Amino acid sequence: MSGLRQIWYIAVRELKQRARSRAFLITMVLVVGLVLLTGQLLAHEMRDPAPSVVGIAGEAPDGIDTALGAAATAFDMDVEVRHYPDAATAERAVKDGEAEVALVDGSSLVWKKDPDVTLAAVVNGALNEIARRDEAAALGLTPEQVSALVSPTPLTNQRLEEEDPAEGPRRIGAYIGSLLLYMAILMFGQFVMMGVTEEKSSRVVEVVLSRVRPYQVLAGKVIGIGLLGLAQVIILGGAILLSLTTFEIADVSLPSLGGSILLSVVAWFLLGYAFYSVIYAALGATVSRQEDIQSVAMIPVLLLIPGFFISLVALDNPGTTLVRITSLLPPTSPMVMPTRMAVTSVPLWEVAVSVGLLLAATYGLIRLGGRIYAGAILRLGAKVRLRDAWKATE
Amino acid sequence: MLSCVELEKRFGDVVALDGATFEVQPGRILGFLGPNGAGKTTAMRCIFGLVRPDAGEVLWNGESVTPEQCLRFGYMPEERGLYPKMTIREQLVYFARLSGLGRTEANESADRWLETFGLTDRASSKLEQLSHGNQQRVQLAVALVHDPVLAVLDEPFSGLDPIGMEALSETLHALAAEGVGIIFSSHQLDLVEDVCEDAVIIHEGRVVVTGSLADLRARSEHRRLVIEVDGQPWAPEIPGVERIEIRKGKVRYLARQDTGIDEILAMAQREGEVTRFAFEPPSLSDLFREAVGR
Repeated sequence: MSGLRQIWYIAVRELKQRARSRAFLITMVLVVGLVLLTGQLLAHEMRDPAPSVVGIAGEAPDGIDTALGAAATAFDMDVEVRHYPDAATAERAVKDGEAEVALVDGSSLVWKKDPDVTLAAVVNGALNEIARRDEAAALGLTPEQVSALVSPTPLTNQRLEEEDPAEGPRRIGAYIGSLLLYMAILMFGQFVMMGVTEEKSSRVVEVVLSRVRPYQVLAGKVIGIGLLGLAQVIILGGAILLSLTTFEIADVSLPSLGGSILLSVVAWFLLGYAFYSVIYAALGATVSRQEDIQSVAMIPVLLLIPGFFISLVALDNPGTTLVRITSLLPPTSPMVMPTRMAVTSVPLWEVAVSVGLLLAATYGLIRLGGRIYAGAILRLGAKVRLRDAWKATE
Repeated sequence: MLSCVELEKRFGDVVALDGATFEVQPGRILGFLGPNGAGKTTAMRCIFGLVRPDAGEVLWNGESVTPEQCLRFGYMPEERGLYPKMTIREQLVYFARLSGLGRTEANESADRWLETFGLTDRASSKLEQLSHGNQQRVQLAVALVHDPVLAVLDEPFSGLDPIGMEALSETLHALAAEGVGIIFSSHQLDLVEDVCEDAVIIHEGRVVVTGSLADLRARSEHRRLVIEVDGQPWAPEIPGVERIEIRKGKVRYLARQDTGIDEILAMAQREGEVTRFAFEPPSLSDLFREAVGR
């Protein structure tokens, strides 16, 4: 009977028992459903920015419809013109939100609340255009002369740096990724802790430990729950990716961008989870009752939160010293490095150093946490102090 | 054969084991007895490496017990507990596999033990849905599901009613008949007297009495003498009687082995109708009191 096979049995039991729990399955289905639904709603919002409606009532200058359309194009806006029989009807339309603004008698604009500056400029521009055209006609100019007079040669724009159309989507992707990473590490780390405490409080751990060594129980638990976490990250990430395919942004392949972010999230979940779950397991072994969990559960959260906030900073400023250093060192690196990698290109050696340091720290933690786990797991009753747990296995 | 040799263990200032030595023979039932806090649980945990003794060693057939060897032992801890939300058959199969049984073997063994304890129709119940007595049975089944060569049971009789005790006693005897060595602990010495064939009595971490029950009784110089005449305890001066104890309203003599009982019986019969006359070897608690000088 090899030790590895026992670890595998323990992992499989963890995985099966948790995956079968109704609460877990329902949460999973709900979250995936929510992601798909929100994705659809967002896509719908982004695909059809509804045209702004300008209501016209009373006396309006000739050709206002065409002039408004031309002015809107100049401002890169979509404007729809609706005619109302009288000022009162137009005002009601504005009040009901049917129209953004009403132009009454070609002289006053009626808004629901604060005026929309751009829309006001569009309407003003259109009115000016008509006024100039009428005056020019009165001076006896031909329409060609008028348009040559009122339409100046447009200025040309020159960009010194080419804009990357993928920058925005990449930032959003990195944000979603770091949120997913944060939640997954926290959630499955806590599963490990609850699992350890459950075994201790139900006393079954003594039966288990009469058959396997403490490190095997620890490893089996971490691996089993980790596999479940991996499955969840992939399913959830896949759902997010699926809802991305309904978005369309010019020149950017969202599925391939999202796919590479998801890949990095999965890899960093494994690294970060391994690090944090060992901390959770060791702390879980020090308490005998579920009620006491609260007193120790904050410790890993406090270690993880700075990384999460710095990763938010990294979304906009991936190059600052703080971001660079925290992306190299545990315990912040599993949160900060993937965000950095998503929004900018990180030199390969920095990624290697970050992964190497995290793996080394995890190995140290397994030694340390394993010893605390072994020293504390059979001591029932009051919370075991870390120092006592450490000494118990000397 | 399992040998615990000179086991010593301290927890801070508390001495749990102070050079305890004893052996468990294959095919025999050893009662590991002593008052609460005598060191029974610590000694049993030492067998499985759950507690590392400060000194001394645990040997199986003369060699140090390895983790592989441990898998051939079965353990029922004093603090009972299994997975509350797992079905009982799953738990049995799981623990059988953890102990190294293959898939088919583990399933067969689980079914066999469920049948032995009359739990076949509850196989897919969760543990928490079972009565206390049935949970106790599952706990024992888990300790035995991998057909161990040695069963280590910590206070298996506590909390059992007389029928449960009888059933457990029968199970243990059946196991011993198959050659399994059995060590069980109890702090109720007289309650388990009929179950064990060998006894080790431990007191303050030290073994104070050890041997087969038959030998221990034969070896003792004392006999218990209880006489009632006309339904009343009768307690005259009797030559050869060392001590008179009055416990729970009963008068009990502690007599020497060679006391002439014919004479005493005749004396009692002259007094009236003898309603009770007992001349017995000492009980385990008598032996324990004798050993610790109380």
